Amino acid sequence: MPFSFPLRKIIHVDMDAFYASVEQHDHPELRGKPVAVGGGSKRGVVTAASYEARKFGVRSAMSGIIAQRNCPELIFVKPRFDRYKEISQQVRNVFFEFTDLVEPLSLDEAYLDVTENKKGNPSATLIAQEIRKKILVKTGLTASAGISINKFIAKVASDYNKPNGQKTVNPEEVIPFLEALDIRKFYGVGKVTAEKMYQLGIFTGLDLKSKSLEFLQTHFGKSGRYYFDVVRGIHLSPVKPHRTPKSVGAERTFSENLSSEVFMLERLEHIAHELERRLLKNKVAGKTITLKIKYSDFTLHTRSKTLPYFVASKELILETAKELLYQQELENSVRLLGISLANLNTEKRKKLVDDAPVLVQLKFDL
Amino acid sequence: MKFIVSSTYLLKRLQVLGGVINSNNTLPILDNFLFDLDKNQLTVSASDLETTISSVLEVESDSEGAIAVPARLLLDTVKTFPEQPLTFVVENNNTIEISSNHGKYALAYADGAEFPKAVELANPSATTIMGDILASAITKTIFAAGNDDLRPVMSGVFFQFSPESLTFVATDAHKLVKYQRTDVHASEVAEFIMPKKPLNLLKGILAGSESEVKIEYNESNAKFSFDNTELICRLIDGKYPNYEAVIPKENPNQLLISRSQILSSVRRVSIFSNKTTHQIRLKIAGAELNISAEDVDYSNKAEERLSCSYQGDDMQIGFNSRFLVEMLNNLSSDEVSLEMSLPNRAGILTPADGLDEGELVTMLVMPVMLNS
Repeated sequence: MPFSFPLRKIIHVDMDAFYASVEQHDHPELRGKPVAVGGGSKRGVVTAASYEARKFGVRSAMSGIIAQRNCPELIFVKPRFDRYKEISQQVRNVFFEFTDLVEPLSLDEAYLDVTENKKGNPSATLIAQEIRKKILVKTGLTASAGISINKFIAKVASDYNKPNGQKTVNPEEVIPFLEALDIRKFYGVGKVTAEKMYQLGIFTGLDLKSKSLEFLQTHFGKSGRYYFDVVRGIHLSPVKPHRTPKSVGAERTFSENLSSEVFMLERLEHIAHELERRLLKNKVAGKTITLKIKYSDFTLHTRSKTLPYFVASKELILETAKELLYQQELENSVRLLGISLANLNTEKRKKLVDDAPVLVQLKFDL
Repeated sequence: MKFIVSSTYLLKRLQVLGGVINSNNTLPILDNFLFDLDKNQLTVSASDLETTISSVLEVESDSEGAIAVPARLLLDTVKTFPEQPLTFVVENNNTIEISSNHGKYALAYADGAEFPKAVELANPSATTIMGDILASAITKTIFAAGNDDLRPVMSGVFFQFSPESLTFVATDAHKLVKYQRTDVHASEVAEFIMPKKPLNLLKGILAGSESEVKIEYNESNAKFSFDNTELICRLIDGKYPNYEAVIPKENPNQLLISRSQILSSVRRVSIFSNKTTHQIRLKIAGAELNISAEDVDYSNKAEERLSCSYQGDDMQIGFNSRFLVEMLNNLSSDEVSLEMSLPNRAGILTPADGLDEGELVTMLVMPVMLNS
């Protein structure tokens, strides 16, 4: 056994083109056709694309106009989040038949820890097969799965035989699998980090493994340790059944770019209102308010401020958001504004023995 | 040196002056009263170096001299006499002998020249104010002054004099009081920060006084003269923060309520509040004020409802109940107004009635933030 720690059996289940598949399932006339969920309006963005559409290069987060250009036959449908949530719940119920250790990442993705499972089945591969079969029966939708010893490898593996497939990376295969892995596939390696890795001569897992911990820490700071471990198959992050959100936000893309702050204030008020609604629904409050500004040239800026106390009301959020808006002159006309609240009181609550309210006596700014 | 003085007359003065004497002085001479006799005028002084207070007493005498008499010993003795003449005679062996109807008491004295001299104010400006007005200006503000050694300026009361008005301000960064008199004026603009100790002395002496107080001041000292008394003190050095900037200008939510009602409700409800934060919540909707508190540690909880007159949006705000009680206690009106904007902005408490002509009182209190 090449590992010094007890091995777990983790499954990553990922629904195939989830939103688009739900639409195709509910509307038989869409089956076999290129479908995009969202992106129908003038400036909307595609939320999900069916596999037929993906062949034409339609991707999620692509603007509707570009998607249309890539695939003139593309059919746009409005998203129905309530429906997706409903099906997502059905899928989750399938998971719960096998284990309670389910960590949903979004509506269409989840990690499962089946080291101990309700069926007493020692084979995670067979469990994954059974789960996918049950999902198909219950919802009529296909899912893909990755099975391995940690969340990271399971997630990479679920992409291997997509759609409607699965891939197991057994413990003895973990090291060769990681060594052969393209550096861009490593979780947490985005465009910027990948570029940096390339410059340091790191293209695959093997290259990464050849670097010392000190070297990685010098170049990647705190993340260095993570890269060093993960390429050695060490990623001990547990499957957390109750994943509490780290932040709550709301944003709005405008039908016309805004250049007047007066109009922005009005929009901010709507966004704050929506944020308040979400906060109320989740019963959370937070301390850090972040204003997100996307300019018409798509450059993204964020400004944030941390208050010494928790806020959840529209008025207080709006007050800080306004302050952030005026803090610096805007560089361009604005396409999108968003407000998010982080440093939530749900994080604190874990440390406190009970739900003791956190009270702060405010001071004059003298 | 010899003089005769009435025991109760002397006691009254000694008790006032004794307030300035610290209980543990590094300079032993400060444990004494200075007796400076000039025929039938006896000037008694006490000092802690920062503040020196002196009073002129009428006595029966034709001699002169200056001695320092142990304050504690003298006070304890004089306190016990019923009204009667006391004769003070300085003996040769460095003692002063007091003769009463009951007997004789000898106290060792020190040379009056050892007693620190009060500073003379160079080029002072001057203003006069009625004693009781000054006393109520002090009473209304001093409780709000802070105790933070790191911000000594905020441990005093800010005196702001101008030809239009006299303004007195105190704050500890949580609460703030601004007391203004537009019926009293100074000849020119002047600002200084008075430490708490001399103000407390003045407050005690001047309560209900109908005498005029002459205030002289320069960069570093202030002198208050009234009746036969003079108080000279060092000012707090530094610049007072721009308090006007923290008084919220727009306060769309206004609550009008009986002072005694809200005061007794807050007092009662606060018994149930958390013992460290003393937080109570005000919830205002329509014409109803809901005051609540809870101490989750002990599952204690209280809630009261009061009817009020309210203009503005429904709102919820948390305050430290001790601050509210102090402030409400310091007002004397039948009704008070509480103006608010947001739950993280200061509330402004003002009396709705009962003010003198030209009198303005503004009290501010910062909220305690709620997290639910």
